[in-house]
Amino acid sequence: MSETTALNRLAHHFESLDKQQQAARLGMWLFLATEVLLFAALFAGYGVYRYLYSDTFVRASRDLHTWIGGVNTVVLITSSFTVAWGLDFAARGRGDRTRLLFGASIALALVFLALKYVEYSEHFHEGQLPGRYFTYEGLGPGPGGPIFYALYYLITGLHGIHVVIGMTVLAVIGFRAGQGAYTAEYHVPVELAGLYWHLVDLIWIFVFPLIYLA
Amino acid sequence: MAGHPQDAGHAHAGREHVHHSHFGRYVAVLIALLVLTAITYVAAKVHLPGGWAVVVALTIAIAKGTLVALFFMHLWDQRGPNRLVFVTSLVFVALLIGLTVADNATRFPLANPPGSPRAVKPPGFAPPPEGGDRLVR
Repeated sequence: MSETTALNRLAHHFESLDKQQQAARLGMWLFLATEVLLFAALFAGYGVYRYLYSDTFVRASRDLHTWIGGVNTVVLITSSFTVAWGLDFAARGRGDRTRLLFGASIALALVFLALKYVEYSEHFHEGQLPGRYFTYEGLGPGPGGPIFYALYYLITGLHGIHVVIGMTVLAVIGFRAGQGAYTAEYHVPVELAGLYWHLVDLIWIFVFPLIYLA
Repeated sequence: MAGHPQDAGHAHAGREHVHHSHFGRYVAVLIALLVLTAITYVAAKVHLPGGWAVVVALTIAIAKGTLVALFFMHLWDQRGPNRLVFVTSLVFVALLIGLTVADNATRFPLANPPGSPRAVKPPGFAPPPEGGDRLVR
């Protein structure tokens, strides 16, 4: 039965399932490379203004709740671990366990977003808003504060959007895995969904020191 | 592989070897990532002098990122092209960030935006407070 399933998955323009899956992986890595470059542009902008307004950036960074950034790092690392573990079960044909572990990852992502919400609402309350909407007094005059918060919202906001997309991908693929859509021979969608989630984690690993530990 | 249905559950398409669990490896990587997170958190609280705080924080971040890419994302087990694609993107990240920051670091003062420490002071600007911020306000 698994043999027929594997053969059905083979698109007519591929010679073998192995080549098809290898092509899918290569395509995903190309996409992830573009994602890395997207964030790299924001990090470059951060680097420039961190250099030009270093004292304000350091003080703005110390104003943030380091513990929230730290807890969110642990939360995302753990969610990456549960996704990797879920792929391990998918590779052995245990889609039910994959669904369970992807569900756990989504729950951890919700914790991440909840903490981000706490942080954002505090910033809004304090007037720590980007650009000309910046009314916070704690960083003194000068353009450093508004620029820090402009970059803060761009970087964490874009990352937050990626978290939401990643949760959606994990939900769809996890649900399908639970239905038995994938087998030990064919589970490349589980692998690619996992890759996307690990990238979200990977980006945060660099956001955390830049924003919170400057 | 497809001709041996009895191998189902063991054969892993796309990898050369028979699939065995990576669970132990994942746990080891998780523990390493949590320890590195704790170290970077404590190092940031110590407030290292000069530029060392950034250097330490970014070195630890690169170590963590490498662990995630190699083992959670399985670059370690991948074939050449996939590794090449990702490493190429990292080369361009280094070029983009390195050259942009180097550009700003080597500009003459007139080219720096107002209010930044390396900018020319406009007339009538108060001098920076004694021993205080390097920023001109």
